[in-house]
Amino acid sequence: MRTRWGQRAGRLFLLPIILLGPTWLATGRADAQPADQQAQRLLASRCSVCHSTDLIQQQRLPRDRWEATVDKMAHWGAQLDKEEAALLTDFLATYFHPEAGPVVVLPAASPPVQADQESGTTPAPGWAAARGAALYKQNCLPCHGEAGSGGVGPKLARNPILTQADRFRTTVSQGRGAMPPWGAMLRPQEIADIHAWLNTLRD
Amino acid sequence: MTSHEGPGITRRSLLAGAAGGLALALTGGRLPSPAEAAEPGADDQTADQPLITHVARPLDAETPCQVFTQYLTPNDRFFVRSHFGPPALESVAPSVWRLSVAGLVERPLSLSLNDLSTFDEITVTAVVQCSGNGRAFHSPKAPGVQWEQGAVGNANWTGVRLRDVLQRAGLKAQARHLQLQGADRPVVASVPLFTRSIPLKKALHPDTILAMRMNGAPLPLLHGGPLRLITPGWMADSCVKWLTDLTLQEEEAGGYYMQTAYRYPSRPVKPGEVIAPQDLKPVEAMVVKSVIAFPQQGAILSPGAIMVQGVAWTGEGRIVTVEVSTDDGKTWEQARLVGDEAPYAWRQWRFLWRTRGSGRRAILCRATDDRGQVQPMASPWNPGGFLWNGWDHVQVQVRET
Repeated sequence: MRTRWGQRAGRLFLLPIILLGPTWLATGRADAQPADQQAQRLLASRCSVCHSTDLIQQQRLPRDRWEATVDKMAHWGAQLDKEEAALLTDFLATYFHPEAGPVVVLPAASPPVQADQESGTTPAPGWAAARGAALYKQNCLPCHGEAGSGGVGPKLARNPILTQADRFRTTVSQGRGAMPPWGAMLRPQEIADIHAWLNTLRD
Repeated sequence: MTSHEGPGITRRSLLAGAAGGLALALTGGRLPSPAEAAEPGADDQTADQPLITHVARPLDAETPCQVFTQYLTPNDRFFVRSHFGPPALESVAPSVWRLSVAGLVERPLSLSLNDLSTFDEITVTAVVQCSGNGRAFHSPKAPGVQWEQGAVGNANWTGVRLRDVLQRAGLKAQARHLQLQGADRPVVASVPLFTRSIPLKKALHPDTILAMRMNGAPLPLLHGGPLRLITPGWMADSCVKWLTDLTLQEEEAGGYYMQTAYRYPSRPVKPGEVIAPQDLKPVEAMVVKSVIAFPQQGAILSPGAIMVQGVAWTGEGRIVTVEVSTDDGKTWEQARLVGDEAPYAWRQWRFLWRTRGSGRRAILCRATDDRGQVQPMASPWNPGGFLWNGWDHVQVQVRET
């Protein structure tokens, strides 16, 4: 399979592959969580065996359709074990959901930035997180405290919900318990930006 | 598309450059001159790209709408779509390429390109349109390539009647469907082949052809060369490219691309609804549709008289009216049908629009065919996002320049 692919790629499609790999991986602004990074590695190494990842980026599907799609691809021969398939589905459902705008900003597949020990925060590495900081201050700080330290609402810095981007988005937009839904106030991209910023916080 | 780019170059331009260059090479097209490349039309950055790339590999690319001011879509600007990309060149070289006719036939055949050229030649002008053209406009989004208006084109297809070839093989009485297989192969062998079939009635229609030439030139590799099927009036999922195997059989083709993909619900469905297999039928005939070729989306126009131009087409009928609205669909005026009228080709239309005042304006169009099909404001949602034919519209700015 590899040999045949190599021949075909060499003949027709080598240039787009060279261009695509790095552009996909460099699309993000905020730091990626390890799971997001692994998902992006899977996209580059497993999915793009058969098709460039621009095909994925243009989809806006609910979780069940992503599940069905990843399942179909695994059935057709995509090299994904169960854990990898679940992780990939999570990533796709988080970033390429029906309410995501025309442009999806992915977290950069780079190592997380070390926290500034004094303030407990890091300078935002890109505009997504920087914008998230401003949005947080405006919308979330009253309940969740300075730098996500908690208040009326739970502490958000290093909160486990941050590892589940999809659940984070749903909780913010639909509300939970005493927390009102913010879906009418914050667009999905803004929620993602806040998420990106919260991920830069340490304690 | 994503937005993170290095300075001065966008991802889209990078990809379009690479894939567009590839398309040109394989469609036998010319490269745009530097002067052309430097002058984007109106506000549309895509204006001078030969094609707009949606997927770089395998290449899926659509035609920019302004190309549709021409009756015939040039080969190098004709949309490109396949599931696996073109086969290896050596596997379709004229010296080795053969068309096999087998299954429920009296005399199985293996025909070379020379053998095919001994049949009567026929040229059909026909629209070829991807079943997913306009998928991007369905809401909620359907999975698949997010085509907008341009996965369609009108070309002269020259070849031989499929009927003549089948008759030389001699059909057995039980034959009901013709299975079609091309030379393209998936990267991974466990992926199902793009195997399709058409009912025998369509296969025996005198206008269904095995095409070897496109707009007078040898059929380019990206468009299915050396041989593809053209099923005039039907969506392009039947127009199998790189055709090598015809198999007469009692049943439709099995497999994913005939039994699961390219099927459309026979009753209205809601997003997310479970649809029983018997309620899904293959996508076949095209539906009535029109698009605006001029002005372009985002164009800045001086007040006065604007000649709005476009094309309209339908499946197996003929276009009788095209209407244009410049007040968001409140009132409609008839456009003038112009140019050639041929059974499976599209019809060009023009509408003289006298602008009033200045500011943002939307131009809408809709077509009606002789079977009473009217282009709807929005098409019925379906899981595959097929057969979009909602009103086309462009937004423009009218202002003194």
